[in-house]
Order: sequence, then C-alpha cells, then structure tokens
Amino acid sequence: MAANDPIHQFQIEKLVDFGVVNLPLFGRTELAFTNSHLAMTLAFAGVVIFMSLFTMSMQIVPGRLQAVGETLFGMIDNLASSIIGHEGRKFFPFVFTMFMFILAMNVLGLMLTFTVTSQLAITAVLGLMTIGLVIAIGFLRHGLGFFKLFVPSGVPIVLLPVIVLIEFVSFLLRPVTLALRLFGNMLGGHVALKVFAGFVVALGAMAANGGLGYFGIPGAALSLSMVVALTALECLVAFLQAFVFAVLTCIYLNDVVNLGHGH
Amino acid sequence: MAVETDSAPIPSAETDADVSSAGAAAAHGSATEAEHSAGLPQFQFQHWGGQIAYLLILFVALYILMSRVFAPRVRRVLDERASTIADAISSAKALQAQADVQADEARRALADARASAQRTAVEARTRAAAAAQAQKAELEAELSAKQVEAESRIRVARDAAMTQLSVVATEAAEAMLEKLTGAKTPRAAVAAAVKSQG
Repeated sequence: MAANDPIHQFQIEKLVDFGVVNLPLFGRTELAFTNSHLAMTLAFAGVVIFMSLFTMSMQIVPGRLQAVGETLFGMIDNLASSIIGHEGRKFFPFVFTMFMFILAMNVLGLMLTFTVTSQLAITAVLGLMTIGLVIAIGFLRHGLGFFKLFVPSGVPIVLLPVIVLIEFVSFLLRPVTLALRLFGNMLGGHVALKVFAGFVVALGAMAANGGLGYFGIPGAALSLSMVVALTALECLVAFLQAFVFAVLTCIYLNDVVNLGHGH
Repeated sequence: MAVETDSAPIPSAETDADVSSAGAAAAHGSATEAEHSAGLPQFQFQHWGGQIAYLLILFVALYILMSRVFAPRVRRVLDERASTIADAISSAKALQAQADVQADEARRALADARASAQRTAVEARTRAAAAAQAQKAELEAELSAKQVEAESRIRVARDAAMTQLSVVATEAAEAMLEKLTGAKTPRAAVAAAVKSQG
C-alpha cells in the first residue's frame, strides 16, 4: 500500500538514529542519518568527485570530461559576469556551488528513491541562504543605502508609497519563490512519475486476471510511454531548475552589487 | 522560520512518548504513521533541523572546496588557454605583417621590373625608328642620285636622238627633193630649211 502511494517517496526514513538532541539553532531535534542525509552526501560526493576528476589533470586542449566540466563552469561564469558585471568573478563560487549542488541533488533524485530538492526544508534553506547573502552584501556595501533597492528612481512622488510597498513585498517573496519553485517542480514531477508508474502496475495486474482486464494492457502501455516521456522531461527540469536558481541568484546579487547603477 | 515551526510537532511526539510506556522508537513510529496520513512528509517539521544543519555543513564545505580548490584550478587553465590563444593570435598577426611587407616588396620589385622593361622597350623602339629613318634617307639619297643620273642620261640620249633626227630629216628631205625635182640640192640649204621647220 505504502509503496504505491505517490507521496511515500518523500518520507524521511531514519537509517541511523542518534536520538533527540538539543541543537544550538534549531532547538530540540531528532538527530538521525536519514535517507535525505544519504542523498545529500551522495550529491556532495558526486560534485566533489566530478570536480576533482575534471580539474585533476587539466589540459590546454580539453578532453571529454574536461569539456563537460568547462561547459558547466563557463556557463555559470558567463552568467555571473554578464549579469553582475566585472565583479561576477567574486560571486561565481557561490553561484556555481549552488548550481552544482542543486543539479547533483536533482539528477540523483531521478536515479535514487529519494529526491533531496523535493524537501521544502532544503529548498527553503537554499533560498534563504541566497537572499541572506544578498541582504548581507547590501548592508555591507551600502549600509542604509541598501533600502534604495525599494525606491526606484524616476517614479512620481505620488506613486512612491505604492511602488515602495510593492518592491518591498516582492523582495520578501524572493526567497519564498526561490524555495517553492524548486520544491514544486521536483515534487510535481516525481509525483507524476510515480502516479503513471503506479498505473502501469495496477493496469498490468488487472490484465493478469484475464477477461475484461485485458483492456488494461493498452492503458498500461500508454502509462509506460508517459513514464518514459516524463523521465525525459524531468531530466530537462532537473537541469533547468538548477540553472534558473543560478540565474535568479545572479540577478538578486546584481541588485545589491550594482545598487543604483542598473535602476 | 525553521525555529518557530520546529517546536510545534515535537511536543506532540513527546507527549506520545510520555503516554505510551513503550520505547521511543515505537512512539516515534506511531507519530510518523499519524503524520504520514495527514499530508506531505515535507511538513513533518521534526526532520527539518537535522536536514538543514547537514545541508549547511555540506554547502559550506562545498563552497570552500569550490572557491579554494576547483575554481582556481579551472580559472588557471582557462587563463592559460586565453593567453596561449592571445599569443598565437599575436604571432600570427606578426607573421601576417611580415608577409604583408614581403608582398609589398615583391610588388614594388615587380613594378620596377615592369618600368625598366618599358623603358628598354621605348629605347629599342626609338633606336629602331632612328635606324630605319637613316636607312630610308640613305636609300632616298641613293635613289635620287640614280634618278638624276638617269635623267641626264635620258637628256643626252634625247639630244643625240634629236641631232640624229635632223640629219635623218635632212637626208629624207634631200632624197624627196631629188625625187621630185630631179635636181640635186645643196645639203647645207636643205639642212637650213629643216632646221627652220623645227
């Protein structure tokens, strides 16, 4: 029963239980090495192994693995420098770490039984981290001038209160949208995959009983082709969501790095 | 945000554990079962803290590795490649400039050669023209000399012929007179008559 439940795949299972402890920031927490921790560890290890392999013996003329790595690197590098400008290099490691980690977790989610980025806790922290960095840089660089972010230049005085309110709310919603976009895409995609895969099994079992159940076979075939198509789509979404997260991170960073220039 | 929401579900799990005298694991199991049927497992907030802490640790570790190890490595190779390409381009540009200079020299040499050839041709033409002129003048002089000589010869011949003609005419007139008159006329008279006739 639980195996056919499309929501069950998001269940956190404790692999190693350490009991309930008092964490400094989070209060009383059940500390355990769960399937989520395992998937995160695998994603982390995957990124580190990939980066080590491709940077280990880099050539001027790249080989196959190096070409893949350089493509990803160059993509985010171009993104950071084209959106943020000449200071993009400074923020590149953060954006690239974000991109590679999310990409690894998304792609691993297509292969493992658990997808880390379908956990709201994870995507919320990723979003809050990004916006936290934005706020920190804003205050460090501009002090109270950071609040100019909410006051676009060239707006009539009459409209200013409304505009400031809208800008402020949109800024507050940034981490929420960052978190919910990734979470929703991963959740929806994996639920759809699971539902169609469940249809294949259910209709196949119906066909196994014979009689009218044979009508289940075309349905099962259709569901199977949907699973194949959705898997292809999810591969795209896994990459695209990581990329979108990186793009938005760059855009939000640009707002505070070049405060007052772009507005 | 995480801190506030954390506290809500955990007390309920604790009360569960307090109420049931069974082990903590069993209490926890029943709690997860209850929440499992309630909604998305993502909103079981007792799992948030551990995941968030672990995510932060991994992210920071990955960030440090990226910024200290991996990115500089890639950056170095990319810069090296860029400088290699720039070097190759600049050396190619130098070669191109050199080739341009050489091409210019070749073009200039060709133009020089053409000009000198033209000069030579003009010289040869004028020389040939002068030679032809001289030859022509010489030929003309020779021809005119020959003409003058021929003309004088013709004059002499004509004069001789004229003299001869008056003699013949005198003789013919003398013979005709002799035939007509039957008398001999003195030659001098006949000759004077012929001469007066012209």
